[in-house]
This record gives sequence, C-alpha cells and structure tokens, in this order.
Amino acid sequence: MSDPHPDNGGDFFAQFLDDYFAECDEHLTLVRRHLLALEEQVGRPDVDPALLDELFRSFHTLKGISAMVDLSEAERLAHHMESYLRALRQKEARPGVEGVETLMAATTVLERVITARRTGEAPPAIDTTVARLRALHSESAATAEQPAPLQTADASDTDAEHVRSPARPSGAAGGSEHARVWRFEFVPTPALSERGVNVNSIRARLQELGEILQATPHVRGDGGIVFEFVVATGFEESTFAGWHEDNLTYTPVEEATADTTEAATTNGRAALSSDTDEDSHPTQATPAASMLSPSNVVRVDLARLDELMRLIGALVTSRARLDESLKHLKRTVAPAEWRALQETSLAMSRQLRDLREGVMRVRMVQVGEIFERMRFVVRDLTRESGKEIRLELLGQETEIDKFLVERMTDPLLHLVRNAVSHGLETVEERAALGKPPEGKITLRAATSGDNVLIEIADDGRGIDAERVAARARERGLISGDERLDEAQLLELICAPGFSTRDEADRASGRGVGMDVVCSTVEELGGTLRLATEKGRGTRFTVGLPLTLAIAEALIASVGGQRFAFPQTVVREVIEVEASSVRVLENNEIVSYRGEVLPLVRLARLFDLEETTGDSFHVFVIGGGANAVGLVVDRAVGQREVVVRGLNDPLVKVAGVAGATDLGDGRVVLILDVAALKHSALGGRLAAGIGTAI
Amino acid sequence: MSNITNDTEPFVLFELAGTTYGVRSRFVQQMEMVEHITPVPNAPPAVEGVVLARGQVIPALSLRARFGFEKIPYDLRARLLVVNSGGRTIGLIADTAREFVRIPAAAIEPPPEAITGLSGKYLEGIATIDGRMILVLDLGEVIDLGDQQPVV
Repeated sequence: MSDPHPDNGGDFFAQFLDDYFAECDEHLTLVRRHLLALEEQVGRPDVDPALLDELFRSFHTLKGISAMVDLSEAERLAHHMESYLRALRQKEARPGVEGVETLMAATTVLERVITARRTGEAPPAIDTTVARLRALHSESAATAEQPAPLQTADASDTDAEHVRSPARPSGAAGGSEHARVWRFEFVPTPALSERGVNVNSIRARLQELGEILQATPHVRGDGGIVFEFVVATGFEESTFAGWHEDNLTYTPVEEATADTTEAATTNGRAALSSDTDEDSHPTQATPAASMLSPSNVVRVDLARLDELMRLIGALVTSRARLDESLKHLKRTVAPAEWRALQETSLAMSRQLRDLREGVMRVRMVQVGEIFERMRFVVRDLTRESGKEIRLELLGQETEIDKFLVERMTDPLLHLVRNAVSHGLETVEERAALGKPPEGKITLRAATSGDNVLIEIADDGRGIDAERVAARARERGLISGDERLDEAQLLELICAPGFSTRDEADRASGRGVGMDVVCSTVEELGGTLRLATEKGRGTRFTVGLPLTLAIAEALIASVGGQRFAFPQTVVREVIEVEASSVRVLENNEIVSYRGEVLPLVRLARLFDLEETTGDSFHVFVIGGGANAVGLVVDRAVGQREVVVRGLNDPLVKVAGVAGATDLGDGRVVLILDVAALKHSALGGRLAAGIGTAI
Repeated sequence: MSNITNDTEPFVLFELAGTTYGVRSRFVQQMEMVEHITPVPNAPPAVEGVVLARGQVIPALSLRARFGFEKIPYDLRARLLVVNSGGRTIGLIADTAREFVRIPAAAIEPPPEAITGLSGKYLEGIATIDGRMILVLDLGEVIDLGDQQPVV
C-alpha cells in the first residue's frame, strides 16, 4: 500500500470530498423538490418568493462547495443557475416554462458532473447547458436596469449564514441605497480571546455596521481558522479602519458585471490559494466555530456503522455462548448465585438489543429521499411519453436502512419507468376506456413488523398474462396451456432478458431490467409480490427487512443437522404424533385447527436421513388455505442470530437464505422458508424468488 | 511480499491423490485444518458445504470431487486452502498441504495435450522443479462451476 500523501493530506481531502458529495446530495434533493414546486407556480401572477430564495441558496452553496473541491464544471453550472435565480428574485425575469425546463435539465447535468467526479469518470459536456442558461440569463440581464447589488464573486464560501436564517428577506443588501460591500476576515487568537475579542463579539460589531450577508469559516492550509464576513454597510471606511488590531482585516468587494463566469471562477481559485499561502497565525480551536455550522449533524461513513454492527453481532454471539454455559452451570452452582448470574446475563441481553437498535436508528433515513427522486423521473417521463401522470407519494417519513435505500434506488426507478411506459395508457386510450385522462402512479411506503413495504402501483392496463405466457412458451420457459397466476407471472417477467416489449421503449430500456429488480430484492433478503388486473392496473410490493444483520430465529434439527428458521415467518410450532398423519393422493396431511395442513418433510427435500420417532415437530408457515407444515425432527431453541449472506454461486441454492454461526464454530444454514414452501408445493419455477407468504 | 526477481513467484504446494499441485500463494489467504463443514442441500456435488473461516462463511469445495477422484474421509493431514479469486473467497479441500516453493515463470509449461482427463481442464501448466513435477492450478477454472449448476 503506497500513499502518495504521506502527510495524510490525501486522507483529509478524501474525507473532505465525502462531505462534499453528501452536501451535494442534500442540495440536489432540495433543488429537485423546489423546482417541481416552482413548475406548478409558473404562469401564476405571484411566485412564492421563499421558493426562489431556497433555490438561490442551494445553487449558491453548490457553486461555493464545488469551487472548494475544484470541480469547475459544477461550479460553472451552479453559477449560471444562481445568476438566473437572482434575476428571478429581483423580478428582472419572470419564471416561465422554458426557464424551469432549463433549470431542471441543468440540475440533471449538474448531478451527472458530480457523480462523474465521485466515480472518477470524465465529466459530461456542459457547454450546451451553460449556453441555454446564459440565454435565459442574458434575456433577464437585458431587462435589468442596474447590476445586482452583490455579485458574489467569492465562489469559495458556503453561505452558512443564509442557511442559518432562511427567513432573511431577499435583496436586503440593496435596502440601503449607498451601501458598499466589504469582505472582513477575522483570525481568532488566544490573546484576543482573553481580551474578549472572539467571533461572537466581532459578529456583533459587524452587525452594528450594517447587514451581514454571509458568514463563513474557512480552514486554512495550515489548519488555522479564518472567519469571513461579507457585510453591506453605509458607514465610511474610516469607521472600521482601526480594527486590524483585533486581527480583523477588510477588502472591498468589487461589483463585477454579470456573465463573467470565467472571471468568477478564477477569483474563487485565487481566494482559495491565497488562503493557503497566508502566513500561519497562532489560532485557537474556537468553540464559536460550531455556532456557524448549519446544524449539529454529524456525517458518518456507512462503513464505520457497518463495523459497529459487526461488533454488536459478535457481542450477540458471545452472549449466546454465555447463556449456553450458564445453562450447564445451573446444576453445579448454588441457586442464589446462579440466579444472580442469570439476571446479569438477561440484563446484558436487553442492553444489547437497545444498543443494536440505537445503531440501527443511526443508519435509518426516510424513504422520502428516494421518492423525491422518483418525482423528478416521472416528470421527465411524462414529457417523453406524452402521457398525463399524477404521482402520489405516501408514507415518505417511513424510515429504512441507508444501505437498503441505496441498493433499491435503481430497481425502484425501473419499476416506476415500467409503470409509465408499460402500465399507463395514453390519454386517448384512457378516454376510450372511460378512465380519467390522468394516469395515477402511487408510491407508498409503510413499516410492517420487521419489514418495510414499498409499493409501486399504477392504474393502467395491467399485465397481459396471455402475452407473457405466449412469449414464455416461445422461449421454452413453460410448456402447457395452464393459466398463470400472479406469482408465476412475476417469475416469468423476472427471467433474465425476458420482456414482452413489442417495440423498443426508450423509457424502460434504460438501466436495469426486471431480472435485476428481482435479484436485488432477493439479495437484500426481501420479497417481491405482484398484483395485476387487466384494465385496472398493476402493483408491485417490495418487502425489505428493517434490519439486515440480526434476526430472531428458531433452531431445529433435521436429520442430525441444525437449521435456523426466521421466526417472523413461523406461525406456530406444533407437536404431531406420527400416527395422526394421513396420506391423501401422495400428500401427507394432519388436521390443524379444524383445517387440513399439508406436510412438507424437510429431510426428504434436503435428502437427509429421516428419523422415525413417535412424534415430531411441525413449523406452521402461512395461514388459511395456504398454510403448510414443515416437518422437522425437533425444535431445539429460539435465539437471535447474526445473518450472513451466502452469495457465492457455489452455495447459492433455493431454499437457503443465509447462514449464521451459533458461537461454536459451526455454521448453521438459515432457510428461506417461502422458497421452500413454494418448491415443495410443486412450483418448479421457484428457484430464486422468495415469494412473500 | 518482496519480489527479488520478477520471474519467480511463490506457490503453495498441496497433495491430491498422490500428485503435487501448486497454487500461487498470493491467492491463498490462509490454510486451516478441515473441521465442521456444514453440508448445503442441493449444492453441486463437489461442494462439501460451508465453513466458518475468520468470521466469514465460505463454501468448501472438495478438490477430489472436482477433479473426478474418489472421495476419502478427511484426516488430520487434510487442509482447507482459503483462496481469493475474482472477488470470491472459497475453501479448497486438499489431502494435505505444507510446502511453499518459488517457481520461475519460465519453468511453467503448458499442459501437454495428452492430459485430457477431467483435471487437465483445471491446469494452467506443469512445472518441473528439482525433478519434481508440479501441476499448476488454474484457479478461475477450478472455482467456476458454471458447467454444472445445481438443478433444483
């Protein structure tokens, strides 16, 4: 391992970049939401000024932080977007369809530029987009009588002040006619601090002068801190000329003319490099720095949380071993002492559960984040397809593991695209069918027990089962003429490369296919369900585990081998007398709660030795007419297990969901009960898809 | 790992049915005694099951079964070679393994056409060191069971 920056500069910058990407994500999410809101207001006499302010701030911040990481394409784009927004805010231009379109297109390009930086790819060309933005901007500039009151040439700031006080009225700087804009820089030192001169007192002093437009802390190359304030004031320079004694220096901010992107960029760089070249001042790690940060949010690398989860997993395993040892001790230790030990062990168990939940909570994000993205996609697709679409979002506040969200983004995108291009009919078709012209797509998220359900539904034409069947027969995937149920339909459309598309459809041709949707869901330990009705619509339901790492499991022995069963799917464990089993057309059945319960012998399914006792245990899976009894030799216990994936193709077999170790160095397989049930009931297509119970 | 010269590379040697095989040691993560293999139902026949190796659950592949030799019960000499290849971590079970040697690249020759048996397919070449014949494994081929997917 060779580090090109032995001074850790590389690490620092990598960390810095991570923060940059995270911040970009946040702002792009906001921008998308606000642009959509803006679009709805186009044409109204008054556009919500708060909306324009928010957008302006986001672009301004994106510009600033992009300059700090030297991503000039992003900086240029954001600069032009910001300039147009400034014109809108000052009513020099009115937001029109063309303007919003351009901003949306530019946002997409901006996101791609940032993604390219993240993945180390070449950035996309931005010249066309910049030209479109400039066209908007110059139109507005032509109508503008006076230059913007503050040309923020300082591309390196992060506009922390604006974030802190979003209610600040726009254009406040222009409030006083003769105000000039100055940039103050304050370098705190311990000596100054003793005299009571710190960032708070400086801020108060500057506030007396006029309006603080921006307040931004900068970390200099030597690790010291500089606070930069941009202040609009009507006072003469002589008022603050003597303040340099307090390490407070100032420079006038030039009022550059508009559309000088390149100049702005260069200025930004120059400002940055002068920061780093500056002499090192003795500095004090001032607690006041925190008051300037937007909020008390800490960003944590997901890998660190994974490591925490792994450690907790190890703890859970250790405690289970302790529990095991305690059981053996019971006979040899005095009852009082044993009880004390037992109580401690139980307390630890509870604390571990709390600890685990605590870490899990840290990993949770709201599903709304991914839904917002879909809104943007649907909007694009609406234009491309010429269909009218209303997108309904429900349960955005539902929380889900960050890792799952990331992995599910593309699959959900695909399902939404499918809904638009295959599900919904055109306006004319809908009219002919007597449906409202506007097609509806619903994204709904909800928590259900240990699962998060995400539903993608449309009220379109539904999946044409006969067409799917015809195509499947063509490709030799099915033979008979039997009617396909929804589960079989799902399996077919999930087959790699399977598609009933008649003509190439641009929208759904992009990105991942249905097979990737299925395999991703499966990989994440989730389930996928399909409900579709001809002429009424289609609904996909993705069920994902709330937590990846740890699950409650029932342990049972079958043919001398132990297996783990996810507890959530086992309805009941019953003891069955061997003599009470009846045989009906080659199926073994027992009566259970007044119904007939078909039995599936795991030993037979797994080719293990069948034990012949007088009685055995049966795990009841599913309910009602769908209930099935899985026959095991003995249920031997119930415990928390650390779930490990079994992803290597050598051991990826239907019916096995993962593995765990129970603390004795032996691996125990965790069974995919749904797939087992399916294959046992004759569904020969079962391989791979964990159909929900 | 220090490369004294560019053209020799360290290999881990293991025995299988009386023959010596070599696998590049940069692919070998560790070697362990063979114990506690958990069978995986419906896995391909050469897959003995899964084992726990340094906190990771990995597949254990019987090289005897893979090469078409008769299976023998594992004894104290049997070794699990945990190898990394193509982003995968897999345990290979050999009769025994206890040597490292450096083999010059020039000493590895392509396998003769005459070796057409099942195991010939998994060979990258044959090296002769001090009069000993060492069959050099093509790891990628060995762990790719694409030709015999499990049928459920």
